[in-house]
Amino acid sequence: MIDLKELILEKDNLYPLLRKLMKDARLIAPVENEFGDTLFSVIDDIDTTKIDLTNQPQESLKPFFLPQQETVASYTIDEGEYSFTPPPPALQTIFFGVRSCDLTALLYMDLIFSKPVKDATYYDRRNHSLIITLGCNQPFDNCFCEATGSGPYLEYGYGLQFIDLGDCFYVSAGRSKGADLLKKWSYFFREVEEDDQKRRYQLLLEARGQFTKNIQVAHACRKLQKEPVTEEIWEQLSSRCYDCGGCAYVCPTCTCFSVDDTPIDRNSGLRIRSWDACTSSGFTRMTGGDNPIDRSRHALKRRFLHKLKYDFSSHGKASCTGCGRCVDICFGGVDITTFIDLFTKQETV
Amino acid sequence: MNTNFIPERAIIRTIVHENEQISTFRLELINKNVPFTFLPGQFLMLSVPHCGEAAISISSSPEALPLFDLSIRKAGELTLAIHKIQEGDQVGVRGPFGTPFPIEEFASKNLLFIAGGIGLAPLKSVIDHCLFQSSTKEDAAGSITLLYGSRSPSDIAFRQVIELWKKQGVDCRITVDEKDSSWNGNVGLVTDLLSRCATDSNTRSLVCGPPIMIRFVISQLSAMGCDDTAIFTTLERHMKCGMGLCGHCHLDGKLVCIDGPVFSLSQLKRLDVTEFSR
Repeated sequence: MIDLKELILEKDNLYPLLRKLMKDARLIAPVENEFGDTLFSVIDDIDTTKIDLTNQPQESLKPFFLPQQETVASYTIDEGEYSFTPPPPALQTIFFGVRSCDLTALLYMDLIFSKPVKDATYYDRRNHSLIITLGCNQPFDNCFCEATGSGPYLEYGYGLQFIDLGDCFYVSAGRSKGADLLKKWSYFFREVEEDDQKRRYQLLLEARGQFTKNIQVAHACRKLQKEPVTEEIWEQLSSRCYDCGGCAYVCPTCTCFSVDDTPIDRNSGLRIRSWDACTSSGFTRMTGGDNPIDRSRHALKRRFLHKLKYDFSSHGKASCTGCGRCVDICFGGVDITTFIDLFTKQETV
Repeated sequence: MNTNFIPERAIIRTIVHENEQISTFRLELINKNVPFTFLPGQFLMLSVPHCGEAAISISSSPEALPLFDLSIRKAGELTLAIHKIQEGDQVGVRGPFGTPFPIEEFASKNLLFIAGGIGLAPLKSVIDHCLFQSSTKEDAAGSITLLYGSRSPSDIAFRQVIELWKKQGVDCRITVDEKDSSWNGNVGLVTDLLSRCATDSNTRSLVCGPPIMIRFVISQLSAMGCDDTAIFTTLERHMKCGMGLCGHCHLDGKLVCIDGPVFSLSQLKRLDVTEFSR
């Protein structure tokens, strides 16, 4: 009797398996484009596409569940009748090669988009998705997922988790959709042997030892529950923030959005949801110009406190997944790790 | 199917021009089978064709349903557009959203309403509701006071309803910042009216207006001995969804659209509210 929760997939069987999976669902995986950027892409022809499992995808899964811009409704004004139509339903999609941090972010988005009401578009996409993750054997330069409890390997939340053992993948099934898939395509897999388990464990230990950044995330979260951040720190960070929104856009857990109507013609238009971010000055500005946030001092306050103080107190965990993308993108050098560093060194009053 | 951002259609039955800047739009849902009710202090997300949505307080009381009022000041694109709309035209509404005033707590209390400008809109819903609940004119006369401030006599809104309230026994006191030749009433800030009022432990104060007015009124009420749990206000924030998803109204771990917009002073003091720290 084969244990369907954990199996081995020889690398030669990967593409044949994916080819089968593509018959029932759209496949999205990291692909390096002609400019050398690795991005999650829809795989149309797997025989001519090389899936890139070496580099960190530049974007997270966020754009596929909360697109940068999406139509949430269309409207018409027909002889005075003002009516709305919902968007088309989501496509069945399998995501392959997702990193642990990015799935952790998706689990956080599940929370955000379910309370107090369920976000229908998000959950439509979520219910039509299966996530296959790839554990990280080699953290990237700016990664610190070990400090945020979101990697390098995962214990739950995935459909399937792949661990690269060199010539094969160690595959674990998490959610039932993943187990169903292993069962359906069991002839591609072989049983796990004791040696495979040893290699997997060894690789995990090695991966944990390779982080170069030591970010005190948990310490910062606990300290934030007890003491305020000095105005000097906020001002220092704000003075180096250029309001570009880059951190929030690449962040897999920044889910704030705007909703605006865009006319198509006199009698119709689209209701568009688009990414927005608390680091932008217009985010809190009200009709008439009043703004309750003083950007010159508090440009980054909401963002960091939300992730590290409020989410820690309400979910027991920071909503930073240690993916390191904001560290890559912030040209002012005032990413979340800078804040954590400054605050954890702040002397307790 | 995403119905989160799809409003119910409503028809504009009547428009009351309150002043140059403010009109009250009396609406009714077109689909009468949609269950719709609300409590004073809650708000709606209003859709105006091609203009998107804005959060607007309901200014009528639930007793007036199926009709409900939105009193709107010309301030931005959407609010300017609705002022060009005519009776019989259609708009969209989602909601109601937000935590209402704790009206059960107001029974058998003396209610002191302090409003500035369009800030009377959400309080009007409470006053109408309380008048409906008070069985006699004497009941209202003894227990409801309104202090209402406007910039100038021509800025005074809700004149019709204030006249009605006076007839129903509400102690309405109006002041203007700057008088003109037509005015022979009070001149000065609403805080001047407040200093001529008496409060006691049975008083509940409801404050709404520009942030600076709220700040001074609240500190004056505290100085008069009002408890933090007896002072209520309703906060204005930029909102995009009304249902706790978009993040715009996030305030120190709370969401104004869910946890507010109505807050007691004791709740506000635990939050980092800029209105009161400047």
